[in-house]
Amino acid sequence: MNKKSSLEKYLFTIPVIVYSLLLILLPILYVLLISFFKSDSYGGMIYTFTLSNYAEIFNITYIKIFLKSIGIALITTTICLFIAYPFAISLMSKKETTRNLLIKLVMVPFLTNSLIRTYGWIVLLRKNGIINSGLLGLGLIHDPLSLMYNNLGIIIGMVYTLLPFMILPVYSAVSKVDRNLIEASYDLGASKIKTFTKVYLPLTISGAFNGSLMVFIPAIGYFFITDILGGGKIMIIGNLIKNQFLTARNWPFGAAISIFLIIMTLLLVRVYKGLGGKMDDLGGGM
Amino acid sequence: MKKYKLLIIFVCLLLLTGCTSNKNKQVVNVLNWSSYIPDEVIKDFEKETGIKVNYGTYSSNEELLAKLSSSKDGTYDVVFPSDYMVELMINKNMLQKLDISRLSTYKNIDKVFLKQSYDKTNSYSLPFLLATSVIAYNRENVNDIYDYKDLVREDYKNDIVLLDDERITIGAFLQALGYDINDYNDEHLEEAYEFYSSLKDNIKAFDSDSPKSFLMTNETNIGVLWNAEAILAKDHNPNIVIVYPRSGYALSMDNYVITKGSTNVDNAYKFIDYLLRDEVCQKIIDDYPYISTNKNTSNYSDEELKEILNNGSYIKNVGENIKRFDRLWAKMK
Repeated sequence: MNKKSSLEKYLFTIPVIVYSLLLILLPILYVLLISFFKSDSYGGMIYTFTLSNYAEIFNITYIKIFLKSIGIALITTTICLFIAYPFAISLMSKKETTRNLLIKLVMVPFLTNSLIRTYGWIVLLRKNGIINSGLLGLGLIHDPLSLMYNNLGIIIGMVYTLLPFMILPVYSAVSKVDRNLIEASYDLGASKIKTFTKVYLPLTISGAFNGSLMVFIPAIGYFFITDILGGGKIMIIGNLIKNQFLTARNWPFGAAISIFLIIMTLLLVRVYKGLGGKMDDLGGGM
Repeated sequence: MKKYKLLIIFVCLLLLTGCTSNKNKQVVNVLNWSSYIPDEVIKDFEKETGIKVNYGTYSSNEELLAKLSSSKDGTYDVVFPSDYMVELMINKNMLQKLDISRLSTYKNIDKVFLKQSYDKTNSYSLPFLLATSVIAYNRENVNDIYDYKDLVREDYKNDIVLLDDERITIGAFLQALGYDINDYNDEHLEEAYEFYSSLKDNIKAFDSDSPKSFLMTNETNIGVLWNAEAILAKDHNPNIVIVYPRSGYALSMDNYVITKGSTNVDNAYKFIDYLLRDEVCQKIIDDYPYISTNKNTSNYSDEELKEILNNGSYIKNVGENIKRFDRLWAKMK
């Protein structure tokens, strides 16, 4: 009996192991490997060891792109946090059926491809788009607002696309907070803001960090949002990597930036662990 | 255990059927630019010849190269690389020599388009469609424009869309300054950057996917874009004027080639032969109004075509120096 169950365990984990090895580890190792090669002029690779691809990253032009990407990602993460907390906390005072419905609505956008949803924003935000013609029609503005093809467009797109990744872990953390603690806080005369900073925040910080990671990291790489809503005027790390693999035909350099990005991500996870976060919580979900 | 055995047999059977089903059927494997040939043309070819077309698409020459070099020989039979990519593929020994005698419709190709710099003897490639970059503007809202320099004006703030392509767009800046589109001299590139800085505030977006929609929705009044896109925008709004910039523009010729490892050479010839027919060419340019190389369907006179070819420049493979363009492009953004 015991033998059988261990065999079953084995059989059931094999797909996961194969999946992780074949589809996650192997490609990463390949990327790591080619990041040490040289590129030839035809977009191929010369198989000699070099560190020049990594040295190239520290060119001032690329450092600027890194800083810009981090800036955009930080703003996105902060806005998402500011939206997710009030949303999650106000959900707690709703009836359970309403709450479940609202959480499901947060997930509805996942049913459509994010690229298509991003194109949808063009119809809303462009010069003659729905928002501008609406505001002009109501006489609230006289000249159309520049809502896209600039930084604002990028931030709108990023926040919109990534918000669910913040709401879900924050909601999951908030819902675990003991209601009695909140009531006690109010009974003792704490204001709403004080209750938030002294009770909610310390108890849900792992959820907030979890959500922040899940928002921050994709925000560095979602090149289609900067391309579509930013009008391709701003390059983030994702665009830079994509360019190396396509137009510049410089796979090794692209690979080196990818590895650099992975290292940055691991460092962030390190910080999270350093702050006392649990790796299990990073699994996310509810 | 019985269940597992059954499952294994089932999987094996599935794999086997995957291997054998296409054996007896005539096929041709085509990889082409996305939105370049109407579906109808492919269906008509299949109906007429009984040859099944396995049709795939790509959106850049580099993607095509990556797809070809990362797949087994013979995966693709006919592909459509542009000028510099033809040259590169010939050098990499990826193409086979064409036998013109097998193409009954070869005579339809206008001689003007043959013997281009990238394949001087047309041993490996035949021209299919010519794209050129052009300036298009809405004459209702902006003054006459003849060249890139006319775009640098204070009142055109946020009013221009450019192609999101480092070689074409930086190339246009180089041409505006009187340099060659393929110039990679560092000082000239630095000047190109300065030209960009003077134009920067006027650029609303870089877009290669559908720059025409910027003109069609009045998002911008000016665009530097491919001729076919400009023509489609003009069809939508007759106030749009299309000009070939005086200081030069990019030419991009897409070509028929047959891959070295092609296993369906006969069908590949049949497919090319079909695409060269007058009525088929007409159908293609009706939907995608690039310049047809078929002399019977062209909207241009030979003189005009010669002028278009002479004043434009092909993008050339600059080898390692692409990194200079790429670094400048990163700096611009």
